[in-house]
Amino acid sequence: MKKMKILLIIPAYNEEENVLKVYNTIKDYNKNAENKLDYVFINDGSKDNTLKLLQENNINHVNLIHNLGIGGAVQTGYKYAFENNYDIAIQFDGDGQHDINYVQKICQPIIDGQVNMCIGTRYLDKSSSEFQSTFMRRLGKNIISFLIKLLCKKKITDPTSGFRAVDKKVIEIFAHDYPTEYPEPESTVKIVNAGYKVTEVPVSMNERTGGKSSINIWKSVDYMIKVSLAVILDSISFSKKGGTK
Amino acid sequence: MTLNLKIALIVITLIYLSLILRKIKNKKLQISFSTFWLVSGVLLIIAIATPNLIEYITKALGFEIPANMLFCITIFVAFYLIFNLTVKLSKEAQKNTALVQEISLLKKRVEKLENDQNK
Repeated sequence: MKKMKILLIIPAYNEEENVLKVYNTIKDYNKNAENKLDYVFINDGSKDNTLKLLQENNINHVNLIHNLGIGGAVQTGYKYAFENNYDIAIQFDGDGQHDINYVQKICQPIIDGQVNMCIGTRYLDKSSSEFQSTFMRRLGKNIISFLIKLLCKKKITDPTSGFRAVDKKVIEIFAHDYPTEYPEPESTVKIVNAGYKVTEVPVSMNERTGGKSSINIWKSVDYMIKVSLAVILDSISFSKKGGTK
Repeated sequence: MTLNLKIALIVITLIYLSLILRKIKNKKLQISFSTFWLVSGVLLIIAIATPNLIEYITKALGFEIPANMLFCITIFVAFYLIFNLTVKLSKEAQKNTALVQEISLLKKRVEKLENDQNK
């Protein structure tokens, strides 16, 4: 089988505490791995020393000239993957939450040609995950998950998980059209609705090793309402298009 | 409405119109966006000059008094304008995102090419 070109897309916004850690884990991983991973950091207009660290250590990165938010940053990664002809792109957090040892596991279903997109899920296997996140987050996830089940007839346990791998076809789709506002759930719905195969594998995630998470209660409520709306609207417009085909 | 008030209102509206025209001339307002403001100015002058017309329209539409009709129409138009603006703003935001992404990726490619050349 021909070797797959795999790219890690690592969005980084004010992650000066984590950039080097993440970079080193990738380097260590590549020392022992058969299938070496490429990576690209997307510096999303950080106000701290993230960019300086990336430049000084000669770390491969794209520097966004304005802050675009996580969705816009990740899409830049998909564009980069598309331009450079990667077979698989993996979204990998710049804050150390994702464990690089699961990359192979997430890629495997795609390498085997079974699916177009594979999501690393925290909740499939309770015992393997030390970090289950808070009650509110789980509740939110369950609601979105239920909505997706209802509208797309597809069970996605963790639609907000940012740890995901996609194949070449989906890279192309995301490069041209990616929901930059509420990227994770909306993009999943989009791919499911477009008739691509999506699967999940259990992973465990680390607690953030540095920096601050940007989530509070009002933002969460606001997020839930808008994501629900996005998911519903996506499904409606797609079913209409499907009807006229 | 007294004649003095009428004249004062018309003068104010004329100043308003001239301000719009000056903005267009100084390229601070695109002509494609200016029609609404120009038309609104002209309509204001017509409304001030012909109170009878306003009375007539008020009755025809079934409002009790002209003030009600004017407020109602003004609020509708204002809502429509604001909504239109948010739509345009969203469009611009999308274009802006795409531009930032393209420029950033291009910069990266240029840097890479320069580095390769220097080797």
